[in-house]
Amino acid sequence: MEKLLLSLTGMFAGAPSKVLRFRRSVLLVLALVSIVMFHAMATRTTFNLSSEAFMNEDSPAQLSLEEFRRQFGSDRSVYLIYRPLDGDVFSAASLSAVQSLTNDLENWGDLDNSGYPEADLRELIHIRRVQSLTNLRVQNSVGDALISERLVPIKLPTSQVELSEIKARALSEADYVSSFYAADGSYGALLLQTDFGTEAIDSYTSALDSDTVELDDSFGDFDISFDEQAVVQKIEFKDVNPLDYLAFNDALEAVYNQYADQLEYYAVGEPSLMSQLQGILEQLKLLGYLMVLIFALLLWILFRSASALLWPLVTIALSVSWCWGITVLLGIELSSMIGLTVLLIFSVGIADCVHVMSAYFSFRRGGLDHHAALTKSYEKVGLSILLTTLTTAAGIMVLASSNLEPIRVFAVMCAFGVVLAFFFTIVLLPILLDFWHPTAVTEKGSTADKLGLRWQRLSNKVKVIMGLISAALVFVSLGLLIGAFINAVILLTYWIVNSQTKILARVPLIVERSPRRIMAIFAAILILCCYGATKIVIDTNVAGLFKDDHPLAIALNVVDNNMSGSQNMEVMIDTGTTDGILDAQLLIAVDNLQTSLEERYPDTIGRTYSLANIVKDTNQIMNDEDPDFYVIPNSNQSVAQLLYLFNSANPEDRRNLVSDDYSRSHISVNSKSMGSYGYQKMFIEVEQEITAKFASFKTTYPDLEIVLTGTMATLMVVSDEIAKSQFNGFALALLLISLIMIITLGSLRGGLMGMIPNAIPAFLAIGLMGLFGIPLDTDTLLIAPVILGIAVDDTIHFMTHYRIELTKSKSVSIALESAIREVGQAVLFTTMIIGLGFAVLSFSDYLGMAKVGFFGSLSIFVALLCDLFLIPAMIIVFKPTFGVTNVDTQIDFKGVNA
Amino acid sequence: MIIGLSLPAHAVEEITGLIIMQAVDDNQRATNDSSFTRLKLSSCKFGVNKGRIACAESPRVKVLESVAVNYGASLKDTKSVSITIEPASERGIGMLTYSYDQEDRDNQTWLYLSALGRVKRIAGGDSEGDTEPASLFGSEFTTEDTDTGKLTEYQVNLLEETTRSKRAVWKIEMIPNQARAKKSRYSRTVHYIDKTRYVALRSEMYDKYGKEIKRSVASRVELVNDHWIARSVTMMNLVSNRLSNMALIKIYTDLDINDDFLTQRTLTDTAYREATLKQLRAQLD
Repeated sequence: MEKLLLSLTGMFAGAPSKVLRFRRSVLLVLALVSIVMFHAMATRTTFNLSSEAFMNEDSPAQLSLEEFRRQFGSDRSVYLIYRPLDGDVFSAASLSAVQSLTNDLENWGDLDNSGYPEADLRELIHIRRVQSLTNLRVQNSVGDALISERLVPIKLPTSQVELSEIKARALSEADYVSSFYAADGSYGALLLQTDFGTEAIDSYTSALDSDTVELDDSFGDFDISFDEQAVVQKIEFKDVNPLDYLAFNDALEAVYNQYADQLEYYAVGEPSLMSQLQGILEQLKLLGYLMVLIFALLLWILFRSASALLWPLVTIALSVSWCWGITVLLGIELSSMIGLTVLLIFSVGIADCVHVMSAYFSFRRGGLDHHAALTKSYEKVGLSILLTTLTTAAGIMVLASSNLEPIRVFAVMCAFGVVLAFFFTIVLLPILLDFWHPTAVTEKGSTADKLGLRWQRLSNKVKVIMGLISAALVFVSLGLLIGAFINAVILLTYWIVNSQTKILARVPLIVERSPRRIMAIFAAILILCCYGATKIVIDTNVAGLFKDDHPLAIALNVVDNNMSGSQNMEVMIDTGTTDGILDAQLLIAVDNLQTSLEERYPDTIGRTYSLANIVKDTNQIMNDEDPDFYVIPNSNQSVAQLLYLFNSANPEDRRNLVSDDYSRSHISVNSKSMGSYGYQKMFIEVEQEITAKFASFKTTYPDLEIVLTGTMATLMVVSDEIAKSQFNGFALALLLISLIMIITLGSLRGGLMGMIPNAIPAFLAIGLMGLFGIPLDTDTLLIAPVILGIAVDDTIHFMTHYRIELTKSKSVSIALESAIREVGQAVLFTTMIIGLGFAVLSFSDYLGMAKVGFFGSLSIFVALLCDLFLIPAMIIVFKPTFGVTNVDTQIDFKGVNA
Repeated sequence: MIIGLSLPAHAVEEITGLIIMQAVDDNQRATNDSSFTRLKLSSCKFGVNKGRIACAESPRVKVLESVAVNYGASLKDTKSVSITIEPASERGIGMLTYSYDQEDRDNQTWLYLSALGRVKRIAGGDSEGDTEPASLFGSEFTTEDTDTGKLTEYQVNLLEETTRSKRAVWKIEMIPNQARAKKSRYSRTVHYIDKTRYVALRSEMYDKYGKEIKRSVASRVELVNDHWIARSVTMMNLVSNRLSNMALIKIYTDLDINDDFLTQRTLTDTAYREATLKQLRAQLD
């Protein structure tokens, strides 16, 4: 192994001169391929940003959801809650505003778009039905008449008496309370059914459009036969692009904001949620730019060279574009994971370049000429870069075992991108550095150097004043939070730039003084994190994805506290038998299930609704409103006839509740926001209850199937599945990386020792989240292997350098001191750049990303502390020799430094 | 002379869509006069096999008997009673309807659910007239599809003269006016009217987004009591891929029907109803 490592080191040392020899050909090939890749990126990129892109199309949950939509229509509705500013949903002014709004949304085609310059009202074409207090109908039995009338007449009454009557009548309609208005009349709601998810794909044409298709001759007879061979055209549904949601939401907002002087709105439902997420993506884009800016500025300040800023960015940009280009050339659709993919390639690529640049810089300032410095740099870091590439790629590739397509694509793209970053660092960076490279001390200083010198010449007073002015400017332009962050970054950078040598020189002395105490501190942290990890709850909650003051979090809160709940799930009942749903006993069981669910989860389930409600309601109406008849009649014939009445009156509503052959129906359950953990638990309990209540029907209906479905519920279940599989993946990644470390370091003890400094940052995020009761969600878990991959890089650089130096010097002290000094600077710089870059994400309104940013950056900084303090402490205590013989294990840094 | 097979003399030279549809309407209404019909409604999911539209599952069948009499000066008001014979679960459900030609006079409907033994008058509630079209016995046909009269509520355009099912037809477009549009599910209906028999051979219904959502096709056009009528009409719902076929398996007109039969008593009094129907059937023999 040692021989192999040494030969690899030699190979990397020779790499720059080899590529420089063929620089023209190399550049030509890279330029040509890059053009192809850029072209592919521009022309072949297709995104599938739909949330359901994450769902496995063949999963039972997704299949039943598809079937549900095919049967009962889209479940992607907008639930628009409003709070009248006069505090009363039933006031004349509120009713008038809601009536006008309902009318505008129903007849948006009549609106003049010029009155809504910021929106394209044609997007409202997705609205299929609008229901509000002002167009709801109620059936009443008055004398011998069955009256179907509006709850609120079209001509709105103005007298207080009439308005009070409307209110009293509305509040007596149990099925509408909490759905369309709160029981205290303080909030109301519009329900907008859309066709999202049930739109036929563009290429769909009805088989009936063909001129050659004719009715079968049997229709001329009076006895219609049926043809088993007749193919029922199955409509393939279009994937919903979140941008469609955004455009729809913009148009919707433009219309309802016309009444903003009377109504305050809170919109929930998938179209609103997804368009809010688009807004978050826009914010993330801004934060992404800020991140790149911080990367660039730090590179420039730390290396004091513009070439040190430009070349890493070019190298990484090419890695990203090749990876992206090849992916789209293979015809693979990109998902919302692309942001994280770019971030990871960027971070690993930056680390590769920084290590090369840091070494190069060090050799140049040590007096070597450009070519010698280049050779020495690659000799020093080439092997480490290869190893970090392998470990990161292996860690990420674990995710490729996921059964979710976007995560698989993410894993393969990241692993490939990391390999490309390595390739460009070896092949392209030497050529770029040959064109333009950082200056040595003896040469003419760079602009950054000159600026630095000027700054040094200023008096302390002027420095403080200028510092305060610039800090104030940052606060004014970026706000308190981000301003404070940027100022902290500036201060930290200032301190590192000016004191890095001192810091790194002091580290061995601190460690030498009390290595066991340092180990004890880190051991305590690790134990605490492990304890915290046992407390972690894997839970994804839509309401918890946003900060408390985010409009969507407020909206979800309002709906949960005042209406029947912001989430919806469906219990789909398929009897497998025509007219099965007309079975009175089955409907009684459905009714019992509803009652039982409402009683069992009074704080979670706000409302249940099914055909049973219709039958009971119609039965009472047909029996002169006698409350004793608010029951399911025992006879099948009575049920059939009551539903006959309902079907005749409103076939569309009937079709929303029960299939045309009365074999399938569903129970809609509105529930308050809850995490996937809670949902999962509830689902299991509900399923047990279903089994208990419907088991006896299996004899009559052998094909009876009852499943839980619905967009939000399915999403929750899938989130939970993702979370669990990623948690296992993370453990596997840890194992894989340990194996690579053990093999490359040629020592079990060394490998395991190297893993402890990685385990601490990796467990830190999970441990802290567990300790503070923050649930681990899909976003946080996806980043866990990424953090591990990044954290392990610096350890590998440190350990590899230590081992090579140990082989050369045969002295633990010399090898360790050299590792701290030589690798320390690069580790310090990469930590600064990546850690602070990640920290920018903490400002995202999307807590999923904010948590990734905060905990990611924290882990990266803790990894730095592990590399600088824990590894040396362990080396001092355990004195590993990695198979190198005749090693002087005596520790004496004072002597070394001298 | 066969009534309805020729247009009024003054209109012959200046034929318009409205005149044609008026003739079709009159023809359709005339078949209701003192009639006794046995109606079969079959509904199913449809599919296509070798270019033929067919039921892809065993159709759900409802059989009804209906008695109708026209009243008024121009015989434009109708009283009718329909009793469900099949399926067993709906047997005995009855519907009594008085429909009036006068626009400002509301139609009246009474419904009898035999299992509950109750009659209820179905009322629109407020007189704002925005009631939605109801399904006919739970089929794909709605009251809107079978409505007669109310032609003044439409803009009727004669689009072209063409052929359909090898017969010369007028292609006529009907667009509801603003008041009618509020009650209608269709923004536009296109009819293909047989030029010699005044029967709609095919109708296409479009939603407010201009998408065809339903299509009806007539088959078995026969001469019944001097009027051409389609004895089998199939309504296809292009959104749900379901169809309903309405077949007049028996139709007799110009019968002697007692006015008392067209009252609520027929709904509730089974013995009376059956006795009267027996007498009617006897007239057919």
